[in-house]
Amino acid sequence: MREVTPRSPIAILLIVIAIGYAAILFIVPLIAVVQGAFASGIEPILNTFRDPSVIHAFQVTLILSGAAVAINAILGLTTAWVLTRHRFRGRKLFDTLVDIPFVFSPVIAGYAMIVLFGRDGWLAPPLVPIVFALPGILLAKVFVSLPFVVREVQPVLQTLTPEQEEAAATIGAGSFTTFRRVILPEIRTALLYGIVLTFARAIGEFGAVAVVSGNIEGYTETATSYVYRALNDRSTVGAYSVSVALCLLSIGILILMSTLRRRLSQEER
Amino acid sequence: MSIEIQGVSKSYGAQAVLKNISLTIEAGELFVLLGASGSGKSTLLRVIAGLLQPDSGRITLHGQDVTELPPQKRGTGFVFQNYSLFRHMTVRQNIAFGLSIRRTSSQEQNRRVAELLDLIELAELGDRMPSQLSGGQQQRVALARALAYEPSVLLLDEPFGALDVKIRVQLRQKLVEIQRRLGVTAILVTHDQEEAFDIADRIGVIEQGELLEVGTPDTLYRAPQRLFTAAFLGTANLLDARRSGESVVINNAYLPVPPGTPHLNGHAIKLLFRPEEVLLRRAENSVGGEAVIGTGVIQSIAFAQPMLRVQVALTGEHEGNLVQALLTAAEARALNLHEGDRVLVGLRSYHLLPT
Repeated sequence: MREVTPRSPIAILLIVIAIGYAAILFIVPLIAVVQGAFASGIEPILNTFRDPSVIHAFQVTLILSGAAVAINAILGLTTAWVLTRHRFRGRKLFDTLVDIPFVFSPVIAGYAMIVLFGRDGWLAPPLVPIVFALPGILLAKVFVSLPFVVREVQPVLQTLTPEQEEAAATIGAGSFTTFRRVILPEIRTALLYGIVLTFARAIGEFGAVAVVSGNIEGYTETATSYVYRALNDRSTVGAYSVSVALCLLSIGILILMSTLRRRLSQEER
Repeated sequence: MSIEIQGVSKSYGAQAVLKNISLTIEAGELFVLLGASGSGKSTLLRVIAGLLQPDSGRITLHGQDVTELPPQKRGTGFVFQNYSLFRHMTVRQNIAFGLSIRRTSSQEQNRRVAELLDLIELAELGDRMPSQLSGGQQQRVALARALAYEPSVLLLDEPFGALDVKIRVQLRQKLVEIQRRLGVTAILVTHDQEEAFDIADRIGVIEQGELLEVGTPDTLYRAPQRLFTAAFLGTANLLDARRSGESVVINNAYLPVPPGTPHLNGHAIKLLFRPEEVLLRRAENSVGGEAVIGTGVIQSIAFAQPMLRVQVALTGEHEGNLVQALLTAAEARALNLHEGDRVLVGLRSYHLLPT
């Protein structure tokens, strides 16, 4: 029993503010989106999801987000490892730079990619195009979701003393066995949490992807850029329907995240 | 011989952590490396395990030169101060880790784990997680984990350092018992001389990366060869002396040179005697034996466990030097000693060493 004294008026005011702010910012808009989608019945919604360009947009979104997750899981794990276990010149700076995708405007990131990898860019690709093509989208998704795995895994790695690895080494475990049987079980939940966050971010990304991909319908158009185009075309049902689908996906991710977070805090105990 | 260390040196930058250390440890021996923190004792242990590479020198385990081998190939059992159990594994899985890596059959693993759980007296706790165990229990599991695959040698780095005094004493007795029973060669690193004296077959005193002296606890205490060892182990009374023929001259008293003393001719020498070897007599009845080194005034008398610790300020040539003496309560009572009394200071036994 934490609450013994009756709530003061100020406490009630604070609670109303917190809930009201959440309601205005995401509960009411969510209801509006759902209501908008179902405004003219179920048939237009079904038609939206039969549209090949919508199906394609979802395919591009999900497959490339999955690929971004795979890349960031491996490279993020490596980065977290390097940052916790190795001391080198510029490590602190590098540690700070990992957060760049959090603070940079995605649009600028997309623009930088065009400058770098565009047809006349400094690093113009010789064979497959990157900009205004699928590799560009992947690159944009990888960029914006890069910090998540690093930032989730890093603190857990820091709690692992090198003695555990040394113990494993004297017992006879090679580095692969040590990673698989000693380190991975320790960081598994944090890694999963990072992966879920990465996936959520990769799916929802619009700015960087929009700039780098050119939003070519049926080719480089993603689910979020479809919503943007549908709104511009005054195709409100299409925009609302795809938005609802994306929202459902997000809610699923949210539930997964809270489950994982509970497991994480249990493991810490 | 089980472990042979030949001319091992190691530096970090300009700082030498190990200076040309050579040491041979016999099979089945429990050897204690004793030194202050930062003396290099843990570094030496890590070099033996292969966790650190020496700059020069060789390490031989059971006749095999392992200097170039990684830790995985050396088969040592290492016990860390902070236990370092695998947190996500049960006690049983921790102990079985080395066996499962060696692809031992699961029957054999189970048999061996049960045996070790019995040995460390934790048979009922096999399915616990490390976080559910006390520090002492965790360290016993760590010991079992290191013994499971029958290591070539057992290396223990301050294994009792994180434990309460009472548990520490219990556990080190347990360690000696297990080590004797299995006959495994072991090196234990500690800064605690009481611990070293309690369990060691032999002790190596290490200071600033240098292995100063090696010997049985008894020899190192009674007849050290180095001044550092003399002062480091227990309480030491050290007085300047000089040698004259077959005698030691101190404070105008001539003492016979103890048998087995090296020549030390021309050396400045120190006379070492332990507090429990000091005999006090009242100055009035100056009968005095041949080992009287002079007179002094009692500075303080304090109760030290079952004995009395008496501090005597010497007068005469050694004026200003304090002698620590340990007397039984009965001795003190018979002498009726008080602070300020003048006493004769005699020695039951003493040792000479070069300064």
